[in-house]
Amino acid sequence: MTHDTVDVLIVGAGASGAAIAWSLLDTRMRILCLEQGPHVPDSQFPSRDDDYELARYGAFSADPNVRKLRQDYPINVDETCITPVNFNGVGGSTINFLGHWPRMKPSDFRARSLDGVAQDWPIDYDILAPFYDQNDRNTGVSGLGGNPAYPVYTPELPPIPIGKLGQKLAMGFNALGWHWWPSDVAILSRDHDGRSKCVNAGTCDLGCAAGAKGGTNFTYWPILENAGVELRTQCRVREVLTDDTTGLATGVLYYGPDGHLHSQKAEMVVLACNGIGTPRLLLNSASKSFPEGLCNRSDQVGRNLMFHPLTGVSGVFDEPMEGHKGPMACAILSQEFYEGDPARGFSRGYGLHSGRSTTPMTYALGGYGIDSPIPWGAAHRHIMDNVYPNLASLTVVAEDLPEPHNRVTLDPSLTDSDDVPAPKVSYTLGDNTRAMLAHGTARATELLLAAGARTILNKGGPEVWRRAGWHQMGTCRMGENPDTSVVNEWGRCHDVKNLFIVDGSIFVTAGAVNPTSTIQALALYIGDRIKANIATLFD
Amino acid sequence: MIKHSDNIDRDLLSQILDLLIPAGPARGIPGAGAIGVADFVIKAAAFCPDGSAHLVAFLHSVKAAPRPLEESLLRSLEQAQAADFQWLLRQTYMGYYSRPDMRASVGVAPWPVHPKGYDVAAEPQETLDALTAPVRARGPIYRNPVCGTKVTT
Repeated sequence: MTHDTVDVLIVGAGASGAAIAWSLLDTRMRILCLEQGPHVPDSQFPSRDDDYELARYGAFSADPNVRKLRQDYPINVDETCITPVNFNGVGGSTINFLGHWPRMKPSDFRARSLDGVAQDWPIDYDILAPFYDQNDRNTGVSGLGGNPAYPVYTPELPPIPIGKLGQKLAMGFNALGWHWWPSDVAILSRDHDGRSKCVNAGTCDLGCAAGAKGGTNFTYWPILENAGVELRTQCRVREVLTDDTTGLATGVLYYGPDGHLHSQKAEMVVLACNGIGTPRLLLNSASKSFPEGLCNRSDQVGRNLMFHPLTGVSGVFDEPMEGHKGPMACAILSQEFYEGDPARGFSRGYGLHSGRSTTPMTYALGGYGIDSPIPWGAAHRHIMDNVYPNLASLTVVAEDLPEPHNRVTLDPSLTDSDDVPAPKVSYTLGDNTRAMLAHGTARATELLLAAGARTILNKGGPEVWRRAGWHQMGTCRMGENPDTSVVNEWGRCHDVKNLFIVDGSIFVTAGAVNPTSTIQALALYIGDRIKANIATLFD
Repeated sequence: MIKHSDNIDRDLLSQILDLLIPAGPARGIPGAGAIGVADFVIKAAAFCPDGSAHLVAFLHSVKAAPRPLEESLLRSLEQAQAADFQWLLRQTYMGYYSRPDMRASVGVAPWPVHPKGYDVAAEPQETLDALTAPVRARGPIYRNPVCGTKVTT
């Protein structure tokens, strides 16, 4: 390990950091990635243990405020109804993500033009399409071609089984004449490219010990490390350094595994720390030239935070649905109500996702939503014996609209284990989102009844699932106008021309689909643009 | 922090646990107390911040109550000592369902899910074709961003 100047310094070894490193491999530039977490070998994944479910409430919790591992940073969530969740390690949140892999749709890039809300992206679906395809090939994607909700593309591998539960719901959708389709998933339906197929364990959030899920720990990183990309783990970047004279980034300061502060110089810095971590790092990088935070002359860093607010409806059927068998978030997906329709009383739309059931402890502790325990006493016995096995559920995945007051700031007192200021999330649900969720709840209920459910269960009330902030977007958004955006149309910061952002923070709108496929396609696209503009990259 | 389990009335705790997750005699499923979840709870109390305080306070209230230990007493304490009760309930659920045999009692395999997992047959192509036929028959349903209308075949 040396601290000589590198050509490219990437902060974060998750979905986007790995993808852009792969894109830049053929430049033969010297690439270094700093990752605050460690390597997490699949031999340590808890699904090999008898009491595997306990890990969800400890070291493998999705919530960093629960895990409290050295590599995690706390997040002040006192002023948000949705708690961000993540994972820190080589692979980032792709270690514990669920592998659901839908693409954004052409209309997602044109919300202003089509529906008069939010902003249009400076790029479109057609620009990203080849990068979606490339990323799918690199990741290993299973699905069924011919989905009429999208322009034509065909996943490389056949779909994973939708199972008894998926078939039951599919027949309900057909009865109502609504769209549905087997989910695209970054999970192997058959052995592929030296990796083993899914064993239907149903514990995707505990790391995939089979190696079937397309986390970058299994896909990109083995290739990258073999190709000479240097990966330094347990290295937490404190701030990005800039030269007040040139206005360019010169490198970073980071805490190494020895606990000491190190300096690393770089010709180009790429931030890949997700929609919370990237604005946190920029705000922690204030300087004389950037007193309000790096690249924040527009006051847009940290603003427009979007999640995918979620709620769910469960149906109790007359027979066991075997919902614990198979990837937990992925069976079928309906986009019947995805495209905007003013007659519904809200802008934009939502998806109805059929996950499967979870495991008993998680259901007992999470209940009909995911946040509250089920009843105790005789009711508990009845629910676990007669309701839990017979459940099939739909999750309403709503498109959030960007609102400036939903934002990430620095907490004035909370810090991580290296005394670096921690982020604070301030977030409220908009009226549009509430209307969308109410509509979705009613439609999900209608569907479950059409599919044969005899009882409907839901959380009730207007609350969304709290510990469900998987998708963090919009906090350094992309745009052509430096007054209203943080990065340009290919991820380069308006204010610092050798600083790039490639994670979900650059999303302009959120769509209503899981974002990782789009995050990685964007990272590949930005890598391509860097290569295409290499001669004038910092002009 | 509890240093020794001797400080806890394990029998009383087990009685409480059997009320929280009662047995299912028709299917031969034991309650949480009967299978020894008390040991899990006592251990958790030793390791969780404030765990021992929650447990000790709750047991003290049960002992001090001028009523027999039955569901109605726990319902009243659930309201009066919500934090203590919720801590105990959470640990009870965790202790009970971390046991492979109790997982199996509700239809989930007792084995660790890796490497064995579950056998789930892939749907034959003709099944998928038949299921998706009505969806495909409608044609494209996404909007064309150029004109804002739905794409048509």
